[in-house]
Amino acid sequence: MTQVIYYEDVNVGDAMPELVKGPLQKLQHVMYAGASGDFNPLHTDDDFAKAVGMKDGVIAHGMLIMGIVGQAITGWIPRKDLKKFGVRFAGMTKPGNTISVTGSVTDKRVDDGKNIIVCEVAAKDENGDVKVTGTFEAALPSKA
Amino acid sequence: MADLSKVGTEYSPITWEVERGKIRELAKAIGDPNPIYLDKDAAVAEGYEDTPVSPTFLTVPMMWADKMPAVINDLKINFMMVLHGEEEYEYYQPIYPGDVITGTPKVTKMEEKTSKSGSKMDMVTMEVVYTNQRGEKVAKARSLLVERK
Repeated sequence: MTQVIYYEDVNVGDAMPELVKGPLQKLQHVMYAGASGDFNPLHTDDDFAKAVGMKDGVIAHGMLIMGIVGQAITGWIPRKDLKKFGVRFAGMTKPGNTISVTGSVTDKRVDDGKNIIVCEVAAKDENGDVKVTGTFEAALPSKA
Repeated sequence: MADLSKVGTEYSPITWEVERGKIRELAKAIGDPNPIYLDKDAAVAEGYEDTPVSPTFLTVPMMWADKMPAVINDLKINFMMVLHGEEEYEYYQPIYPGDVITGTPKVTKMEEKTSKSGSKMDMVTMEVVYTNQRGEKVAKARSLLVERK
């Protein structure tokens, strides 16, 4: 099944489908370290993490949470239509957190012949604490 | 404390051959079940030439090429005090397995800021523009590092 979303079918204020993942496991930090090449022990070694002030031990890679936001985006908008994606890392994610990614369309414009939608996204944990906020832009096909 | 005189510094290029297995491995680590990242046939059925890289894939060459630790050292940033503040990607062309991408990390901005609580931080912005083996500009990555002082 080919995933297509047309510019005309997306409106300012529309919500993107919510993605909920968790509870996150320490094992995922190990997998992400190996896949990404980010071996900072803050994410995989509880003793190290405690020694640098994280009283509960390891925290997730921020880029893992950005990756989960990316999963939410390209689960909705085709990967090939995604043109820009940026985040600000706002809070630390711990093992056991369940992450919810939500977003909505904030703007639509035709720019240089391209049909651009602009969306804001956020990832929060089960307590509503914000981990990541960001925006993305996609160029969608038109029915015209 | 970051050496603010290093703004404008360009580092030696990262050259990275993109592998299908690495694309799949990163998607698996994220837990992204989207078949376009996992299976070539599924990707082709969705209109891609092969499995495309997922949105945050460009962190892989940056980290595996040992570039980020080298840059942090050169900028005299204390590794223990550095936080990843922001990350942003612009995507110009698809990146597929077999592509060889090259990017030159550049420090585009360095400034000291004072937080509301009065603590000082150095903010370092780094950009990498990647081109592929055909010389096409494929993507730009921008990272903001924050060093607490």
